[in-house]
Amino acid sequence: MDGLEWAVDRLWPRTLSRLTPWLMVLPAILLVGLLVLGLIQIADASLRTLDRSTFLMSDSWSDANYARALSDPVYAKILWRSLSGAVIVTAITLFFAFPYAYLMVRTPRAWLRKLLLIALFLPFFIGQVVRAYGWLIILGNQGIVNDMLGLVGVAPLRLLYNYPAVVFGLVQYMLPFAVLMLAPALTAIPEETEAAAGSLGANWGRTLVHVLLPMARPGLVGAGLVVMTLTLTDFAMPAILGGGSQDFIANAIYDQFFRTSDQGLGSALALMLVGLGSLIVGAIFMLFGAGTLAMGGRSK
Amino acid sequence: MTASRSQRVVIWILVGLALVVLSAPTVVVLGASLTSGNIITFPPDGLSLKWYAKLAQAADLRDAFLRSLWVASICTAVALPVGTLAGIALAKFRLRFENALQIYLLLPFTIPLIGSGIGLMLVFGEWRVLGQLWPVGIACAAINLPFMIWAVSASAGALNDDLELAAASCGAGRVQTFVHVTLPAVLPGVITGSLLMFILALNEFLVSLLLTDARIVTLPVQIYNSIRSIITPDLAAVSVVFIACAAVAIAVLDRVVGLDIFLKSK
Repeated sequence: MDGLEWAVDRLWPRTLSRLTPWLMVLPAILLVGLLVLGLIQIADASLRTLDRSTFLMSDSWSDANYARALSDPVYAKILWRSLSGAVIVTAITLFFAFPYAYLMVRTPRAWLRKLLLIALFLPFFIGQVVRAYGWLIILGNQGIVNDMLGLVGVAPLRLLYNYPAVVFGLVQYMLPFAVLMLAPALTAIPEETEAAAGSLGANWGRTLVHVLLPMARPGLVGAGLVVMTLTLTDFAMPAILGGGSQDFIANAIYDQFFRTSDQGLGSALALMLVGLGSLIVGAIFMLFGAGTLAMGGRSK
Repeated sequence: MTASRSQRVVIWILVGLALVVLSAPTVVVLGASLTSGNIITFPPDGLSLKWYAKLAQAADLRDAFLRSLWVASICTAVALPVGTLAGIALAKFRLRFENALQIYLLLPFTIPLIGSGIGLMLVFGEWRVLGQLWPVGIACAAINLPFMIWAVSASAGALNDDLELAAASCGAGRVQTFVHVTLPAVLPGVITGSLLMFILALNEFLVSLLLTDARIVTLPVQIYNSIRSIITPDLAAVSVVFIACAAVAIAVLDRVVGLDIFLKSK
């Protein structure tokens, strides 16, 4: 240990201590730097057009890909589908996540809290593909729901490969994120506040609207933000439960790279998606603050 | 909880619905994997473990699972030191430009996954390292890094600075203080973070899909490719592997830090 101390004193003298924190975050900065390098690569590729005769990317830059992405009605439709999907999924998810988080935080019963937590973490840890696979078994043409409908004499319904199926799958995917972001915000609200509102004559509906929801706003903002951006940019659920007919932006980008092999157009779409996502995050930060997203001890 | 009856009914209906929706895929996959029939049905056609036995022979699925484990290990091995150091630094020191640094380190979450994945694909392609597994592990470490930093900085924030000063005034060097005082204090955060990194990398789908080719697909990609063609019960059986991993991770998490930690307000 002494040898190690000596070596550290030699390599990193105490006079440099001021820089120690920066030395400690440097690896993280470099690792995240990979993503920044990736964005630069995307930006570069987005300015090169595909030569359809040689299938090579052009050497010179132009904004042709952006012009195409903005003028093609196909992408406007996909953008609209993703954006409206993000709004709908966020609203439904928060609607269910709020009572879930509330019960989990407020219940005096330890076993119930644990059950609710496990029910949350299990799907969170299983991954999107396996969950989507479960939905295929449940909602498929010969799936459980249609089997049960068959028992009561209802003809099989087409429950998969449509917009509601994608929204449904996304809500299930997002619920754990939303609840886990809401729970700390609800914990921070003292129970006495609700009791006080109640003793002043507010029924629980009014307590909810005038006390709980305003006080839980940082959590709601954080949760809504995460759910909205994750939905907007999701790939797996539209791909699996939408069956190719319900593409979101990420699916369109993937297709440009792997089906059409038009890296330029794909990159332009990807960069626009990054911009759109940042815009949403930035706007919500400006309006409501960072919510529960900030890292590091704010307590110092 | 002092709740009126109507409030309780409303909460329980909503939470009950959420519980069903959250658990249904897991339950169904578990059930379907036990079928003795040849097609996926639920409830299963009689119980058997035959699809698990088939699994032992299905080299492609097994190899894909081993590759996923390898990717998850690399991801954790990279993210653990990187995230721990950054987490401690963010929690304990006042850094200049801290706000900018915060925004920068949150980039993995604010850049959409498809953007990160495509970007890394281009970068790794340029470096000619695609077609191997370690870049996938590094990619997973990069895209999930904030989880690791969060977990560690939450633990480090709770550590009293005086403890470290006390160690130093008792003659402990900087390394000794770090190893004997700082690290044990942040250990729960390190374990939580590493577990999250491992599980998320094990399940990582989109970035794997972008960075692997047909020879080195990971398990989620393999399952994705299979469900688009034909759904057989061995897929359910292999999915149960994920469910088992998740269950183990939750049990460990509960033992080490207690699941309740996620309810604490910051």
